[in-house]
Amino acid sequence: MYYEFQNSAKILSGDFALENIPHELKSLGAKKVLILTDKTLEKIGTLQTVIDSMSGKDVQIGGIFTDIPTDSSIDVINEVTKKYNQLNCDSLIALGGGSVIDTAKGVRMTLSQQKEDIMDLAGCELINYGKHIPFVAIPTTSGTGSEATLVAVILNKVKNIKMEFISYFLLPDVAVLDTRMTLTLPPKTTASTGMDALCHAIESYTCLQKNPMSDAYATAAIELIRDNLEEAVKNGSNKNARLAMANASLMAGVAFSNSMVGIIHAIGHAVGGISRVPHGDAMAILMPHCMRYNKDKLEEQYAKLLLYIAGDEVYAKTPKEKRADTTIEYVEKLLNKMHELTGLNTKLSEAGVKEEDFDKIATGAINDGAMIVNPKKADYEDVIQILKGAF
Amino acid sequence: MKISYKRKSIIKIKAIISKIVLFFLYRGFKAGYKLDTRIKKEIDSWQNGFSAVIETGEKNTKLCITKENGKLVRKKQINNADIVITFKSIDVAFLMFTGRLGVAKAYAEHRFTLKGEINQTMSLVRVIDLVEAYLFPKFITKNILKEVPKKEANMLRTYICVITNI
Ligand SMILES: [Fe+2]
Repeated sequence: MYYEFQNSAKILSGDFALENIPHELKSLGAKKVLILTDKTLEKIGTLQTVIDSMSGKDVQIGGIFTDIPTDSSIDVINEVTKKYNQLNCDSLIALGGGSVIDTAKGVRMTLSQQKEDIMDLAGCELINYGKHIPFVAIPTTSGTGSEATLVAVILNKVKNIKMEFISYFLLPDVAVLDTRMTLTLPPKTTASTGMDALCHAIESYTCLQKNPMSDAYATAAIELIRDNLEEAVKNGSNKNARLAMANASLMAGVAFSNSMVGIIHAIGHAVGGISRVPHGDAMAILMPHCMRYNKDKLEEQYAKLLLYIAGDEVYAKTPKEKRADTTIEYVEKLLNKMHELTGLNTKLSEAGVKEEDFDKIATGAINDGAMIVNPKKADYEDVIQILKGAF
Repeated sequence: MKISYKRKSIIKIKAIISKIVLFFLYRGFKAGYKLDTRIKKEIDSWQNGFSAVIETGEKNTKLCITKENGKLVRKKQINNADIVITFKSIDVAFLMFTGRLGVAKAYAEHRFTLKGEINQTMSLVRVIDLVEAYLFPKFITKNILKEVPKKEANMLRTYICVITNI
């Protein structure tokens, strides 16, 4: 048995977390920060809230880049890197969902390695520490957990594949969870991203590199999701539920950063890349189907998860041999609840996936890095069967 | 203080055995190409010029392969290969080469670094898994592979192919 574990980001979670960013940047030696975000967050005032929190003389905002598309791509990373250098910035703030944070990770990697093209750095644990670029991540959704992970997924437009960059040096220095960032998140996105966080926790609890540390983060995240996702969807202005979901998402991120994700993400990445289904939607739809596929290998782990996903009463009342199935039923129940509350899709066909794309999706899925750590082998035909089941 | 003689000897032995296994792994790739439709399909999907290096970081113990004119060829050295798998220690590489650790588990445990695209590496990993199923007996492969694949040729035929290189 062997495992590695790293969770190095300092976490600022709760009231007035944003206002502490200048202090953190200053203590990291930063003076002039470049903020990366997207147009929507600029429009709805989230960016303004962050700017307003940056009063004081310690750290100056050197520039703001709002042109980050839904899929972080190599071109954008190279463009931002150029801008960072032109503006003489010395640190980064990423404000956004997974794609903004992943873009920032890419920029930081390119800068710290002093490379011009990020493509030279594709792979796992290839880069050395390099030049330190202070980096603060502020997630605006509660799902990707990217603020706590060592991976950046970046689209290669030429090859039309999502490339993975894995390195412990991608972890931000500071992760900031502030309810002001997620209060306006629409119910459907709250549901979709929340299901993604649940999926991170479940997959990290069951993948090949599961370990006592990641298990602790995963199970705690599942409990928070169980108790708060529905409330955050129904009543978005409930600060407690929002903060709990932000904590859950980060914790699930820590868990899967260290134990990785499996088949649900492997297929989900391909569904996202080919059929443009939002990541969380794909996760939510595929989760029960992939769990059923994995069940014969993961009976014991799924059975244990019932305690966290359904609570102790249900766990105690359910006979041992039925617990794994009941866990999957609870995931399904949650998905149906989200569908009922927000219209979140429950089938691939509803999400815009076409049957004629199954071939491409299955090929993409078996070549996805997440497949290797799934405890049960899945080949092309197995993926096709899962897709048919989820269609 | 210096590294002990015992440790030096262990490294040497592990490197020698790893070199032998890497030689058979390469031969296994070639035999598998002839004997197994799944291995053939994977290797056929690699572009000409595709190159991969598996190295242990000790005593120049490595396997460098490239695809030339549709065939796999072993080279002494390949600079800037498409995929480079570098084990962080020879001890773990040795575990893998002696059938006590699978590629998937080694990857999950962060036992090696990887240069290149993960997507491309997946195909290489599938080939290694299949070749291992031919080279190692079932009592070993059932511990290191998620699922022991059905063999399309028997062990005797595979070994004749591997040893005679035809
Ligand atoms: Fe995810």
